[in-house]
Amino acid sequence: MFNTNGIQRRYLGMNQQTRKEEALEEVQPNLQLQGGLRTFAFRPQRMRNEVNPMQDGTVLGARGAHAIALSGISKMFGSVTALHLTDLSVDKGEFLTLLGPSGSGKTTLLNLIAGAFGPTTGTILLGGRDTTATPPRERGIGMVFQNYALMPHMTVFENVAYPLRVRRESAKAIHDKVTEALERVGLRGFEDRRPRQLSGGQQQRVGIARCIVYSPAIILMDEPLGALDKNLREQMQGEVKRLHKDLGTTVIYVTHDQEEALNMSDRICLMSSGKIAQLGTPDELYFQPCNQFVAEFVGESNLISGEMNADGLMMIAGNRSISVPGAMRTEGLELLVMVRPEKVRICGMDEAVTDNSNQLTGDVVSSSFVGGMTRVTIKTDNGLNITAKMVSCRAESRHVSGARVRVCWSSSDTVVLNK
Amino acid sequence: MSPAVLAVIFIVLPPLLYVFYTSVYGPPLSLAAYGEVLTSKLFRQTLSTTLIIASLSSLLSLLLGFVVALHLARQPARRRAILMLLVLLPFWTSILVKCFAFTVILGREGIINNILSWIFDAKVQLPLVLNLVGLLVGMTSFLVPLVVLPVLASLVAIDEAIYRAASIMGAKPPRIFWTVTVPMSLPGVFAGLLSIFVMSLGAFVVPALLGGPQDQMLSNLVDFYNREVLDWQKASAISVVLFGMVLVFAAPLALWRRRKV
Amino acid sequence: MPGQIDDPHSRRYRALGTGLAVPIYVFLLAPIVVTVPMAFGPTNALTFPPASYSFDLFRIFFNSPAWLGSLFESLKIAIATTALAMIAGTLAGYWMARHEFAGKGLVTSMIMSPSIVPIIVIGLGLYLYFSYLRITGTTLSIVLGHVMVTLPYVIVMVVAGVNKLDRNLEFGAELMGAGPMQMFVTVVIPQLVPSLVSAAFFAFLLSFDEVIIAWFLAGPNTVTLPVKMFNALHWEISPVIAAVSTLMTALSLLVCIVAIGLRKWTPTDV
Repeated sequence: MFNTNGIQRRYLGMNQQTRKEEALEEVQPNLQLQGGLRTFAFRPQRMRNEVNPMQDGTVLGARGAHAIALSGISKMFGSVTALHLTDLSVDKGEFLTLLGPSGSGKTTLLNLIAGAFGPTTGTILLGGRDTTATPPRERGIGMVFQNYALMPHMTVFENVAYPLRVRRESAKAIHDKVTEALERVGLRGFEDRRPRQLSGGQQQRVGIARCIVYSPAIILMDEPLGALDKNLREQMQGEVKRLHKDLGTTVIYVTHDQEEALNMSDRICLMSSGKIAQLGTPDELYFQPCNQFVAEFVGESNLISGEMNADGLMMIAGNRSISVPGAMRTEGLELLVMVRPEKVRICGMDEAVTDNSNQLTGDVVSSSFVGGMTRVTIKTDNGLNITAKMVSCRAESRHVSGARVRVCWSSSDTVVLNK
Repeated sequence: MSPAVLAVIFIVLPPLLYVFYTSVYGPPLSLAAYGEVLTSKLFRQTLSTTLIIASLSSLLSLLLGFVVALHLARQPARRRAILMLLVLLPFWTSILVKCFAFTVILGREGIINNILSWIFDAKVQLPLVLNLVGLLVGMTSFLVPLVVLPVLASLVAIDEAIYRAASIMGAKPPRIFWTVTVPMSLPGVFAGLLSIFVMSLGAFVVPALLGGPQDQMLSNLVDFYNREVLDWQKASAISVVLFGMVLVFAAPLALWRRRKV
Repeated sequence: MPGQIDDPHSRRYRALGTGLAVPIYVFLLAPIVVTVPMAFGPTNALTFPPASYSFDLFRIFFNSPAWLGSLFESLKIAIATTALAMIAGTLAGYWMARHEFAGKGLVTSMIMSPSIVPIIVIGLGLYLYFSYLRITGTTLSIVLGHVMVTLPYVIVMVVAGVNKLDRNLEFGAELMGAGPMQMFVTVVIPQLVPSLVSAAFFAFLLSFDEVIIAWFLAGPNTVTLPVKMFNALHWEISPVIAAVSTLMTALSLLVCIVAIGLRKWTPTDV
């Protein structure tokens, strides 16, 4: 436990840590009643921190009833394919993030689930029911929009009451439910305001209240925090997570912000040009990216290409060799490997290097101090550009450009990518 | 809601198709009416009058409209909103009111002649109405508000920063006008000019009330054939020709608008 | 603006621009400036400025069954036209703004055609077509004709209004369980109110001021105010017309104020 926590602190940085502490605080009240809950509450967390190459999204998806099951769906707009043939299953209560650059198909996928348009091929099952041709209003879905999409002509109360009025619920029920929903998002007392009198963060809280008030089985969130500034965004991330935890609703969350995705999700579905690039837990995406796109999109990476030699080492530029993890590979096999910058260590020329480490010599090209971290770029003697990232220290002890250094990394920190 | 669209189409299409139908079906089915119309001296004369008056009044209106639009564009937003009233009120004023007013202003005993008489201390009775002058004045009064709006829109759309940039780089107002304002407002000017030209091609009320017998335009000829001669086939044929002319000039406008969207 | 640097160069050109613009404003406003005082002038002469002031011309107007009859005919037609054009235009405009379909361009240009086709052509077409249907001379025929020419403007204003709305609101409402009609009434219509009000005023004024179609279609009992005025201007110019003009201008001013109040200029710059 302690050990994994340490790894986490080193590799995921501040965000992940805050998140964890928050989670701890949230569990605390329950802990006082039931001591056993502590272990239970943290089990999924620990599993996530363990690097388990065998764990795969499909294994998770195979058990229990799925909240969402998409099979063989694709979407063409005219002759443009927005989404290639895709299968995706989401468990009940899961927080799944669709992550990807714009135009990667994540919004198309979300809109297909919402029913904004039908798929070109395939079926959509929601809660086990085939809803491929069901109009949006009968899907039992709630949605939170990036631009809030609040009715400007209605008060906050009326906005949140809208889905209940549509369902012709009694005035009493409406009042109670709206009050409870506003309570949950911390907006009691704002009932009579108009949306435009609220700040962006408050407006989005109304959007969330309007969504949870009618308890839809699935909540879709389309970049809900995209229009907010950084600090507020981080605060709202915590609130959305807390709500998810309290309500246990299945959430599909779209974002292009990788930190947000890593912070919030049970699983991330990383999309690229209309396809799923990788589906897995945040840890899997970060520590076990399957290809170059994933490695470069999630976090920073140093990519090194080369081919295997007869000794089981990988030959790289400048006739240097490095060791890579895994079983013996055939000679001549071309490989692409990745090392995260924070795993690259910079040592002085005469410092001793531990076994099993790869090392290259080079000159520091630049060193940029960006707050908590310092990013150092090194041009190695064999012509590679390697970036190393370390916890910042004061200017006197930072590496200056032009300095001769050695860069080292452990072979176990090297990830072999699929070409 | 698509039935509404269909209903709209069924309201709009039949009358237009009926004009085509009448123009070629006397009975029998023939293009004779077009032949007679196109060779008639009256039609040719009216056609050239129409083109001349439409061109003259459009260009004149554009010139005046550009000055007004430029003046409006240079005002602070609040004052511009107030000054817009001076353009919008004439825009919404009935063409009949304007025609009435100009007969009073331009008549033999009208305001202009009275002022001139007073200045020269002699009885001045210039013929200013029921001729080309009256017609052009009336057309201009009708068209200027129509051209101000698109031109103003394109002038206001010019980024203020471009003016500031030009000015910081040392350009004086006339150069800024010719190198920034004019070229950047050209789309709006072009659209405005075409649309008022198209509109003036079909002018009916102004020539009927302010023009003389030689200044009648194609619309008046259609009315003449319909009401006096009772020859609906020829009236329709002239209408189709007028429609065709309008289409020729409206097509680039439609294309331009679509590209803008 | 306080603190602005006074550049003599630009001030000179500014003055030149104003100097050129002011006479044009005067020219544009002259018809109104001239007619309104004359409406309060004497009944026997058309002079400006009037020699004496009175309400006599309005009295004549409101005591003449012919003028009053045409005023009521025009009001009747304008109200009916506005109602029909608003219903058809709102539904059609919303549908066109929110749907993509094959041939949309063609349908759009067909619907918009009455705003480009010379009115005289439409007038003749309506006259011939309604003669065939044997309904010329009726109020209904003029209303239908006016609906035809006002619809494009109503549709353009509705489409412009709908395009400014956030589509997510409508989709969100459907997702929350609202049916299409319920969504349209609770979400679209309330937000469209400014566009709809200005479109309605515009349609009303277009119909009320319309001459040519009414000129083609009017029968002896369905003479509208503009048709009567056109006839009067054509044959004998009587001072009463000044009073009629003033009434029409007052209506225009009202529409103008509403339009400005709603910050929607005209459909021409859409």
